[in-house]
Amino acid sequence: MKNFCLNTWSRTGLAAVAALALNACAPGQDAPTPTVGTINVSRYLAVGDSYTAGLSAGGLTLASQQYSYPNLLAQQLQGAQPGATFSQPLLAAGAGTGYFDLAGFSTLGFPRTRRVPGPAVRRQVINPAACGGADTVRLFTRTDAPNNLPQNLGVPGLRLAQLNVANLGNETSATPTGAFNPYFERILPANDSRTYLRVVTDAAASATFFTYFLGLDDLMPYVRSGGQCGTAPNSTLTNQLRTNAKTLLDVLTAGGRPGIIASLPDLNTLPLLRTGRGFSLQKRLQDSYHDNALLYIEDPFGSGVGQPITNDDYVLATTLPRIGQLTPVVVGGSTLMLPYGRDERNPLRDADVMDYDEMNRVSGVLSSYNNELNRLARDVYKMPSLNTSPLPYLLDTSGVMPGYVGESISVGGVQYSAEPVRGNFFSLDYYSLTPRGNALLANAFISALNRAYNAKIPAIDTNSLPSVAQ
Amino acid sequence: MRARLLFLLPLFSGLTATAGGFDSGPQGARVLGLGGASTAYIGSIAGLSVNPGLLGQWGDSLTRLSFGGFGQVRRSSFIGQDTYRRTDQDLAVLPGGYFYATRAVSKRVSVGLALTSPYGYHTKWPDNWEGRSVIQESQLNTYFAQPTVAFKLNDNFSAGVGFVYAFGKYSQRRALGQYDDANASYRLSSSGSGYGVNLGLYGRSGDNLAFGISYRSGVKLKMNNGTISTTGVPTRDGALYPESAGFKTQINLPSSLSVGLADRITKNLLLTFDFTLTGWSTLDSLKLDVAASGAAPAQRLSTARRYEDALAFRVGAEYQASPKLTLLGGLNYDESPIRDEYINPEFIDANRIGASAGVSYQLTPRFALEAAYAFSYGQQRLARANPLNPTVSNIGGSYRTATNTASIGLAVAF
Repeated sequence: MKNFCLNTWSRTGLAAVAALALNACAPGQDAPTPTVGTINVSRYLAVGDSYTAGLSAGGLTLASQQYSYPNLLAQQLQGAQPGATFSQPLLAAGAGTGYFDLAGFSTLGFPRTRRVPGPAVRRQVINPAACGGADTVRLFTRTDAPNNLPQNLGVPGLRLAQLNVANLGNETSATPTGAFNPYFERILPANDSRTYLRVVTDAAASATFFTYFLGLDDLMPYVRSGGQCGTAPNSTLTNQLRTNAKTLLDVLTAGGRPGIIASLPDLNTLPLLRTGRGFSLQKRLQDSYHDNALLYIEDPFGSGVGQPITNDDYVLATTLPRIGQLTPVVVGGSTLMLPYGRDERNPLRDADVMDYDEMNRVSGVLSSYNNELNRLARDVYKMPSLNTSPLPYLLDTSGVMPGYVGESISVGGVQYSAEPVRGNFFSLDYYSLTPRGNALLANAFISALNRAYNAKIPAIDTNSLPSVAQ
Repeated sequence: MRARLLFLLPLFSGLTATAGGFDSGPQGARVLGLGGASTAYIGSIAGLSVNPGLLGQWGDSLTRLSFGGFGQVRRSSFIGQDTYRRTDQDLAVLPGGYFYATRAVSKRVSVGLALTSPYGYHTKWPDNWEGRSVIQESQLNTYFAQPTVAFKLNDNFSAGVGFVYAFGKYSQRRALGQYDDANASYRLSSSGSGYGVNLGLYGRSGDNLAFGISYRSGVKLKMNNGTISTTGVPTRDGALYPESAGFKTQINLPSSLSVGLADRITKNLLLTFDFTLTGWSTLDSLKLDVAASGAAPAQRLSTARRYEDALAFRVGAEYQASPKLTLLGGLNYDESPIRDEYINPEFIDANRIGASAGVSYQLTPRFALEAAYAFSYGQQRLARANPLNPTVSNIGGSYRTATNTASIGLAVAF
């Protein structure tokens, strides 16, 4: 049928009349045949943290795991190389951590969320003295086949700085102050003392291709707490991240194994910060209150005096619904009810703001780490590439984030932006991705792969995926 | 004369202008068979809608009628730039019809009427195709009524003028892909009318060579009764996409300037040539002035079109095979008015090359049956979507387009 239509042109006359009789078929075009180019993707290994694990809307569930970008990418790889396998440490249906759900919008248009609790867990460990309030570590049901490492080694909350920590996934470390990751624990056999590096080394032995997207969870605890908790970003952390990245990538690229290294996105592209950027937030509040009140943040020196916000200070998105609410403040011995953040005497607490200095500290670490990834990609591993792009297999994830260049991006007629809910890219935790965001990230990996390895891996029709994972 | 024209061919095809676009083609079975080269062709009164100057040539004692219908199928295939997935447009037939009547009222003055459907398209993509949020279905139909009067200046020259009343209907449907509800959709429909004028001149030097020149003004279809309706929109976005809203818009149909020649090579063979310059550049953007509805404020939605003027070159041949049977053939090249950056799946067009064939059979001295078929095939077009320019809602990929048109009609003289 297709060839016939093609030939109608060369045979106009009779054939053209016949084409009309055959319902005037659409003219043919040959779609490119999907191919994986110069690489073999029969066993893909994904290394990373929350994004890679498929965390979405503050929770890890069976559905969110299935929409993880490595899983979406693996499905496309299978289309180009039949027989390629991919395994994930899937939670049982209904198990998982619980997640955020949209409860509505505040009068100022900020989304309100509610926590949908997860089911009972195996055990929980409470650290009452954790920074920012008591912290609970929940132990989950172990995967069905703990002796076979999954190919998705994305572990929520995994810090690159913990690469060499032994017993990180051993239940014996599950103490209030121990270095322990319950998501790592559930993919390992019981009482396993291996470090993450060791686990990756073991899994890499059979892998033919990898993706690396790690490091964001080293910085997020600091960002999420307004600079109060987590490892303070300094040169020690920078050096640790740079060294550990090289150690891990040495293992992944051993024997010339091909892959894609993803650098970290600029933190202010994440809605957690972007939504609350100083002046635009102040303007938004002034517009909706119809006044000229400035926004005040705590003076970083701890004198308790408020100072007007600048455009380099970011109010955490999780704080936004509370701004302007009347809270009691003791002024000169008497208690006044003052609007939170909109009165010099009731400034936004330090824990609710990533101020200029904190942002500088964290972005200093981030850019130094990204530079190291660039250097490793360009000078050290030099994987075979068939094009002239200087960094063919390094994916700059900032470019994927809507809002990085313009306010929104248009994909197949649908607008994606950094705004939670309507933007369809970031989930309700203001940080992790929706299934569609994961698909756009997977498509960025695919186009990097196609460029670097002369492959033709079909991209995902992003708009056909749901906008919420749970 | 022919040699001189062939010399001009490369010159004209080098221009970036053409006819193409959503012109539904020649308005009459016989002129369709001739490939549309009818500016200087008096073999069918269907030439009336192209060149009112021809009308003076039917100034004898006969009343002439010509009427019929046509169907056009324009289909494109699409391959996604990154998804490599092929999608073919669904089959949609654009129906059309024509009616012409001419009559002399005095030795020098003739009157005529032309009812035609000169512009239109019906694009229908599968509902779940990749570009469903850009467009699923779009349809434009136009109907022109053109009362015409012509004056015979002398035996060899005549001039005519027609008044054009145009009516058009436009509708569009697309998915709201930002929502999870697969049935969330956005529809609009509107109709309206406009006016124009058509002028033409016909001349003959001796019996063998004739020329025609005509100009039809553009028509602005003013649509004030448009309605937008949406379904499947979550309540939180009710102010962005109200369930229904009114809108106004205007669709500019292009002007056209045609120059034609007819050359009788032998007693039985006539060749015709046409150049047509179509003023598509009046179609700059589609602007919808949406009225306020509920919580949604009034707004203007603008989609860039940026059409360019376009040129077409057409050649036709008419061969008298027997006293009753006339055979027709034609070739044409139509440039597309659509620039690469503004290729939109709502209406796909490309530089097209086409061929046509037709027949006219004299059933009785008064009745002739006419039928024709035309096929055209477009160049491949590559659309590059720019994700950073949300004002051009688009999808990247390559398109191929083919058009099939068939027409049948009756010509009567009494």
